[in-house]
Amino acid sequence: MEPLIQISDLTVDYIAEGGDVIHALRNVELQINGRETVGLLGESGSGKSSLGLALLRLLPGNAHVTSGKIEYRQQDLLRVDQKELRKIRGADISLVFQEPALALNPVLQVGLQIVDVLRAHCKMDKSQAASETNAILRQVGFAEPERIARAYPHQLSGGQRQRVAIAQALVCRPGLLIADEPLSSLDTVTQAEILELLRQLKQELNLAMLFITHNAGLLASFADRIAVMRHGQILTCGILEELRRTPDSYVQEIISPAKIIPPAMTATHSNGKPLLQIRNLSKRFQQHQILTRKKFTIQAIEGIDLTLHAGTTVALVGRSGSGKSTLARCCAGFEVPDSGEIFLEGGPIQKLSRQTRQQVQMLFQDASTSLNPRFTAEQLISEPLEIMAWGTKLERRERVVKSLQEVGLDPQTSDRLSGEFSGGQRQRLALARALVVEPKLLILDEALSGLDIPLQATMVRLLLELQLQRNLAYLYISHDLSFVSLFAQSILVMHEGRIVERIGPGNNFQGSSHPATQALLLASRSLHAPGLPLSQ
Amino acid sequence: MTRYLIRRLGHALLLLWGVATLLFILLQAAPGEFFTEMKLNPQISAETIAGLRTQYGLDQPLPVRYIRWMGSVAKGEFGYSFAYNIPVATLLWPRIRNTLMLTVPALIISWFLAVPLGVLAASRKGKWPDRVFSAGTSTLLALPDLLIALLFLLLALRSGIFPVGGMSSTAQEEGWWKSALDTIWHMALPVAALVVGSLPILLRHVRASMVEVLNSSYMRAAQGHGLFRNSLLYRYALRAAANPLISLFGLSLAGLLSVSLLVEVVMSWPGLGPLLIEAILSRDLFVVIAAVVFSTIFLVVGNLLADVLLYTFDPRIRMQ
Repeated sequence: MEPLIQISDLTVDYIAEGGDVIHALRNVELQINGRETVGLLGESGSGKSSLGLALLRLLPGNAHVTSGKIEYRQQDLLRVDQKELRKIRGADISLVFQEPALALNPVLQVGLQIVDVLRAHCKMDKSQAASETNAILRQVGFAEPERIARAYPHQLSGGQRQRVAIAQALVCRPGLLIADEPLSSLDTVTQAEILELLRQLKQELNLAMLFITHNAGLLASFADRIAVMRHGQILTCGILEELRRTPDSYVQEIISPAKIIPPAMTATHSNGKPLLQIRNLSKRFQQHQILTRKKFTIQAIEGIDLTLHAGTTVALVGRSGSGKSTLARCCAGFEVPDSGEIFLEGGPIQKLSRQTRQQVQMLFQDASTSLNPRFTAEQLISEPLEIMAWGTKLERRERVVKSLQEVGLDPQTSDRLSGEFSGGQRQRLALARALVVEPKLLILDEALSGLDIPLQATMVRLLLELQLQRNLAYLYISHDLSFVSLFAQSILVMHEGRIVERIGPGNNFQGSSHPATQALLLASRSLHAPGLPLSQ
Repeated sequence: MTRYLIRRLGHALLLLWGVATLLFILLQAAPGEFFTEMKLNPQISAETIAGLRTQYGLDQPLPVRYIRWMGSVAKGEFGYSFAYNIPVATLLWPRIRNTLMLTVPALIISWFLAVPLGVLAASRKGKWPDRVFSAGTSTLLALPDLLIALLFLLLALRSGIFPVGGMSSTAQEEGWWKSALDTIWHMALPVAALVVGSLPILLRHVRASMVEVLNSSYMRAAQGHGLFRNSLLYRYALRAAANPLISLFGLSLAGLLSVSLLVEVVMSWPGLGPLLIEAILSRDLFVVIAAVVFSTIFLVVGNLLADVLLYTFDPRIRMQ
């Protein structure tokens, strides 16, 4: 059978601002057959997104294709003229991006954006285009397509936006869909729903798919073949069983990242007085509309009880909007609760002084926005010490070097700007900044969600090592139930501002009854796939 | 929306009243008045000056003068001009009309040029059209508006194609069509000076705002869906880039007025500019206040217009 698309010897270089050449893709060979789903697995920076963009010649201006061929229907996509290329884009080969909020134009109705794709490729009148749009919106799972078509992107939820982006990509019935991390920015339950939708559309539309991801688990049951990428090269390509048998340790690690976390590390348990105690905590938000000035109240969290001992990890799990972050912000003292009490080592948290406040530190989801890009690593880490007026300049410097080593960063890099670090390194930097003041409690608000799964596992391993050394307590917030079950001593499931389920060491998921827990569990399992150790 | 507009209008009126009152007080506090210079003239007796002051109510205490003036504002007269001896409104209206005849066409022309040129520069970022525009706008930005106006005047003088100043030539009783053409002919240079003065800033803003949007991932997605180039640039990118430009539009309305006053003086266009300068120098109090209030109206209306446009164009603002 002739392949649908054949990539041979593709090499792409990026010319950085200083004139440095970065090899994004090196001699890539890959073929995709009709109706076949190929999973492209790799960490961030491995070049997998560049490959996806190169197929449609959407690479940024500083990228240069130095060699290679992309054969599609007897033409080389790298050499067809702009006019021909435009006809292929969207009609024959289409794509869906990672962040649906950023992939849709914010000022145009989503229905119009789908109609525009239709009218760019087929001659049809307005009513015909509108009915086609409604049909595709219905196919991606909207019960009222007319209402959705009139909406603007900001009026839709993340999952709805991704459905619209998929509809937009598929409305001209392309033969190949490039899906670049289409699930990463969604919560687990929505991720599972979108994955199911893609599975179903693949069948209905006879689609071939290039599915780019860092999560091996979801490829296990979704992809026909998996290609593993690293440093711009395809290391190996084959079905999952074949990959399991390859001796390459990197391939082994990326297909089963849970191996990075040894179970023995999570066995710690301590008794005695609790470090953090929360009693009957509630918080409401008042909002009012700008034009009409109507007021309405949002009950963010209600009646929360929680106990956390030193040296242990409590995980808060729930869908987005379930109140997890509000609870975290109350614990960190950013929000003042309406009622209820928070005690840290027996004393109420509101009475903490500036010095003792340092006992609670927080790690945010996006390290790149929580670190000042104009600060060097050293400035970032020594800043909290300066605020506390700790030690002399020399002592602070020593402390910075030590903490960089602790989080696995090279102390030589201390004079680099935070923007020059990669995503994973930035989160390590943020961790170093939080730990330098020697806190007792660290709140991780989806701190690892933005990272690749293998990187998440590596970070968790680091966190557990530090926990053992320093007797730290973690409040770990996540939406991935299976993942936190690898290391948390107890898991609290949140739903609509309340804790609906407490899963401790004694009882496991099987006994859990609340529908919210069930949904999270089901979603988490479908993403980490049976047969892979992540859902042990 | 209507309630919002009414509220904004209320705020605007309050602001205008505040500006007028503040000016009234400040100008009273400044030393000297319209009739001070007359005292230097030996031919005018002190009694005559005192009589004039009484006639114009300047001998009254400040609160009384203020209340009288407010009454005149309510009647739509805006006080009396000492120099022309007519109500300020009568004096000002034709002047305002003349100024608008310059600023409104200049505003329209500069935006109609700035948008496509800015879009072109942004879509060819780093290529030669972008470089040419960048060099051109830098040069023009470095030139003071006064110099630009003088250069145009020089051009008129040397070429002889355009009139050197004024609003109309002497022979104008030849039917409205001829006189309209004549006026347009006189308008050409001052309007061109205004356009050249304001275009660089607008062009740069359009370009900057378009460059940002063109780099966004939704533009890459739209490109990946195979949309046509024009539809990408004007329907997708420009609409998304419009917000800062709309705010700028509001401000440019007021900015253009202040440049216009200067150009009018240089090119002897009978607008607000020459009148305002004359009034300031001779301390023709109420003319100054009315002219300043009028330029404040421009600013307020510009911003209000920008807000309304933002509300219509950006669904995100509409939904808030």
